[in-house]
Amino acid sequence: MSFDATNSSKSFKSVGTRPLRPDGVDKVTGRARYGADFNMPGQLVARVLRSKHAHAKIKSIDTSRAETVKGVKAVVTAADLPDLTDGDPALFAVLDNCMARNKAMYDGHAIAAVAAIDEKAAKAALKLIAVDYEILPHVTDVDAATLPDAPVLNEAIFTQGVEPKSTRPSNIANRTEFGHGDVDVGFSHADSVVERSYKTEQTHQGYIEPHACVANCNPDGTAELWVCTQGHFVYRQVCADLLGIEVSKLRVTSSEIGGGFGGKTHVWTEPVALALSRKANRPVKLVMSRDEVFRASGPTSATSIDVKIGANKDGIITAATATLRYTSGPYADMWAELGAMTSFACYDLENVKTVGLEVIVNRPKVAAYRAPSAPMAAFAVESAIDELAQKIGMNPVDFRIQNVASEGTQSSYGPIYGPIGIGPTLEAAKAHPHMSAPLGKNQGRGMACGFWFNFGGQTCTDLNISADGTVTIAVGTVDVGGSRASLSLIAAEELGLSYDNIKAVVADTSTLGYNDMTDGSRGTFSTSMATISAARNAIEIMRHRAALMWDIPLGDVYWEDGHAHAAGTKHGNLAPLSVKDIAAEAGKTGGPIAGHSELVADGAGVSFATHICDIDVDPETGSSRVVRYTVIQDAGKAVHPSYVEGQYQGGAAQGIGWALNEEYIYGEDGRLQNPGFLDYRIPVCSDLPMIDTQILEIPNPKHPYGVRGVGETSIVPPLAAIANAVSNAVGVRMTHIPVSPPRILAALTDAKD
Amino acid sequence: MNIRFLLNGETITLEKARPEETLLDLLREDRGLCGTKEGCNEGDCGACTVIVIDENSVKPLNACILLLGQVHGKAVRTIEGVGVDGKLHPIQDAIIKNHGSQCGFCTPGIIMSLVAAQMNNEKDHDVALAGNLCRCTGYAPIIRAAEVAQQVVLPEWLIFDREKLVSCAILPSLEQPKSSDDIAALLVKSPKTRLIAGATDIGLWLTKEFRDISPFTFLNQANDLTKIEEMEVDYKIGAMVNIEDLRLWAASVSPSYGELLRRYASIQIRYAATIGGNIANGSPIGDNPPALIAAGARIELRCGESRRTLPLEAFFIEYGKQDLRDGEFLESIFVPKDFENLCCYKISKRFDQDISAVCGCFNILVQEDRIVKARVAFGGMAATPKRATHIEEALIGRDWSLATIQSCENLWDKDFTPLSDIRASSAYRLKTAQNLLWRYYRESLGETCNVLEVSA
Repeated sequence: MSFDATNSSKSFKSVGTRPLRPDGVDKVTGRARYGADFNMPGQLVARVLRSKHAHAKIKSIDTSRAETVKGVKAVVTAADLPDLTDGDPALFAVLDNCMARNKAMYDGHAIAAVAAIDEKAAKAALKLIAVDYEILPHVTDVDAATLPDAPVLNEAIFTQGVEPKSTRPSNIANRTEFGHGDVDVGFSHADSVVERSYKTEQTHQGYIEPHACVANCNPDGTAELWVCTQGHFVYRQVCADLLGIEVSKLRVTSSEIGGGFGGKTHVWTEPVALALSRKANRPVKLVMSRDEVFRASGPTSATSIDVKIGANKDGIITAATATLRYTSGPYADMWAELGAMTSFACYDLENVKTVGLEVIVNRPKVAAYRAPSAPMAAFAVESAIDELAQKIGMNPVDFRIQNVASEGTQSSYGPIYGPIGIGPTLEAAKAHPHMSAPLGKNQGRGMACGFWFNFGGQTCTDLNISADGTVTIAVGTVDVGGSRASLSLIAAEELGLSYDNIKAVVADTSTLGYNDMTDGSRGTFSTSMATISAARNAIEIMRHRAALMWDIPLGDVYWEDGHAHAAGTKHGNLAPLSVKDIAAEAGKTGGPIAGHSELVADGAGVSFATHICDIDVDPETGSSRVVRYTVIQDAGKAVHPSYVEGQYQGGAAQGIGWALNEEYIYGEDGRLQNPGFLDYRIPVCSDLPMIDTQILEIPNPKHPYGVRGVGETSIVPPLAAIANAVSNAVGVRMTHIPVSPPRILAALTDAKD
Repeated sequence: MNIRFLLNGETITLEKARPEETLLDLLREDRGLCGTKEGCNEGDCGACTVIVIDENSVKPLNACILLLGQVHGKAVRTIEGVGVDGKLHPIQDAIIKNHGSQCGFCTPGIIMSLVAAQMNNEKDHDVALAGNLCRCTGYAPIIRAAEVAQQVVLPEWLIFDREKLVSCAILPSLEQPKSSDDIAALLVKSPKTRLIAGATDIGLWLTKEFRDISPFTFLNQANDLTKIEEMEVDYKIGAMVNIEDLRLWAASVSPSYGELLRRYASIQIRYAATIGGNIANGSPIGDNPPALIAAGARIELRCGESRRTLPLEAFFIEYGKQDLRDGEFLESIFVPKDFENLCCYKISKRFDQDISAVCGCFNILVQEDRIVKARVAFGGMAATPKRATHIEEALIGRDWSLATIQSCENLWDKDFTPLSDIRASSAYRLKTAQNLLWRYYRESLGETCNVLEVSA
């Protein structure tokens, strides 16, 4: 489906309005059902035993005493989850992460699990599971893991992507490279060069709802799973694969989701709950504690990044390189690759090279976190860009505009861009009153740009027209940010109905075809394409029905403004038929009216944003406060502007927390020191200003209304924007995120010495 | 033990209840009221916020660390009970209309906090919401909703609940001490009894560690310990005064101390936690002790009918060890009235709801440019809250001048050898402690230094 240019001049009736969300009343009354709010008759309570060691060989596990505890119905270990992964390393990593097989790879790694009639019995049983560990040397720091004397964490991992092939096992799982041109030649033409190393600490998505599920395996081989997830179809596939269940026999229902941000794209305990249910032959409920969420569900990578950028006197970047080391936890993944791809995506560069190195460490398996890997790369690159602008005496906005990517630019990661929004966001930033507002004492202003690919993916949607002419759309993408509202607007727009006549529901895996999960900012983008297609199919049927009702040829019926019209003058007296009119007669004209659509939503338009931030720094304590923050981002077409703004603000808020305070802190013993909200500090109300937003609309040529995904890009610029603002406030370049009070004070003290 | 309370207007009687069970578990598991959410089970996220009403207070509290013994005789409202007759409470409506709910998981707790704030006429949203984490919105649409909803009238159920508490005679249980005398008698008889005041710490022993805390008793009906009285030379503060009430009083006598307490955890925790619990628990970083030590507070410990007083700093012997004998309990705190110079600085990574890395309190009296009194106390700098005696000695008798402050520079490590931990490094703590004396000096000359005051 491509962009219909007539839509850009079209005045939308529904799209672009701001109706109330259909899930609003449920959410404000406490009736919305989240993962832990569901129960099955006879269900057991499950608890997981987790390693306290960062790295240890599991010599033996004795569960016999635990099994004798009154009320205990099942105990499982890795032995109850045999390896059915058939040589698929990614799937094996998921399996091993769900339940450690030979080695505990991090503090929090699951070792065994118990299902019992109540929490007390389950906890008592956990204490009686005897695990004989052989403690192994560990490494948690990204740089330390790459040193020659670091313990090798997985003897089977040889660095991929290097020539000649690696012959020794290594903690660097893979090397990826992107770019074009000749950077050496480029640097030789540079008049100024900035070269620096940066670090960012590991952060967690921090959704307030812990992972929760209820699993039920029946003796006939069927099973069901109620779970909070961003992708119930994906969970179904993975759980079925790991447990040897036929995919169609596992029915997965997604609950209301209390935040995911990428962290609920991955199974953590769900296969374990199913294994327990299978063994106990009863339903099992498994809810993670907050401590477990931090210790054992996917955080983002910790990173160490070297950047070098050169420019000539005229402010043209002549060459840019970056080497990006990303931790992935105990298993190989592609986080560094994503970092390497996104690093310089905002710029039009003649010579660019990025190298990603995926680093294995004794930390939890990394999962996606909103534009995964891009914020850290942007922090490093946008910091260097700012410094280079200062060095050559250019305003940081003008310097970026001078080098900005635009339609036709070959991106640093390969593709040629179509129409994109980075230039317009920079121009808007330049013109924004925030940019010229005066700053007070000890205040600094920073700006930064950000990029995210966006994703389309497999999508399937049903649209059913009821006898009263109202419409249900059944979608397979979990609503994480208001997509039931935005998709209802889309359906209303296509059908010519009012928003109130549309009800969107998230269907379970047995009632709709496969859908990829809600990731890559694809919820509204991809499912709106399927919804438009389904609506158009339904309209086709309604044209047929109208033709039947009027008894005129189909070719004489056209659809406009939610009505079937008889064309021309020969049927001149026929009043248009509304959806309601046609639906009322459906039983007599051929039965129920529905539209269906299945597609791969190709063409998710890439997304760009520019952020501006003012920060106030206390030079005596290093405390800081964000006093003003502006997000400018391209939405393609904002379907529900309030929820687009909600995504902009939410991403910025998470980025601000990451930039200033949030970090995983590991002790010398390799244990996580702060697995709770008290010491893992996500922003509270007083930490944030009223984040201002500006929506730009540069239509995505691959979507009929021009829509682009909007959910993720907003977390990309804040790390850099804040670091630039703090650096400008204190006059010292901040190179380590989070820029917490101790780091700011240390930088100030070092600068004085 | 029988427990009776009002739940959303209906009387609940629990026979043979476990009083150490949390209200959250009762709501979610026994009553099917799943609107109250569990996000952390340790009082940090506010998703489980409920409103607890008695004859003279309306408190937002975290149900996850609120024990059934604490709600006995009170009226509880949950998210399911704020709307009446199928109509939304105006704050629920405002949240929908201002798009203040995204994923919605924090929403019930946010609404309960805002309803309580509106009932208590608390207009500062940063204060009302410091204990509620939202990860989706960045808070702006929630604040807009709160502003819209601020003018609403008190809900009818406030009067209903209070009347019903009386008419249904939900009387305090006979099994709990009703006064300081009762506590004293109980401890003489059974000296090992664990006293539960706000349960903001003990609640975690139960929910996180599954500890058996028997024998124990709840103090929340000892109303004679909830008073702050103005005596001749002192203020007398009962050990059961909660931190929010203490804050309201402190704001009137020492704005700086009041501001310190504004940043003490969150409003939910402040309403639960008590000054007695904060001191007796012996935390090296509890924010009250350094302020009270600097103010020159004494505490009164009671055993049976005998009482002894000691300077607060003497109570803290070493980490985890306080000067509290068997059968003895902390009854009152006496704070000298002349502490208007007290200045408190809390240094933490996050402004609200955070544990201090360093809490520095200064009470310095200068007469005719000469320092006649200096009491300086710190939290987070040692294993206990501690006075900076070398600094005090170096100040007393000297000029209040740049040179005097400079002369203190090398004395800090004589007073303190702070630890490095996840909250701050030793070096950071020492450096900020030094800087705080500078700040106190400059502020005494009328300079505004605080980043938050500057931008306010």
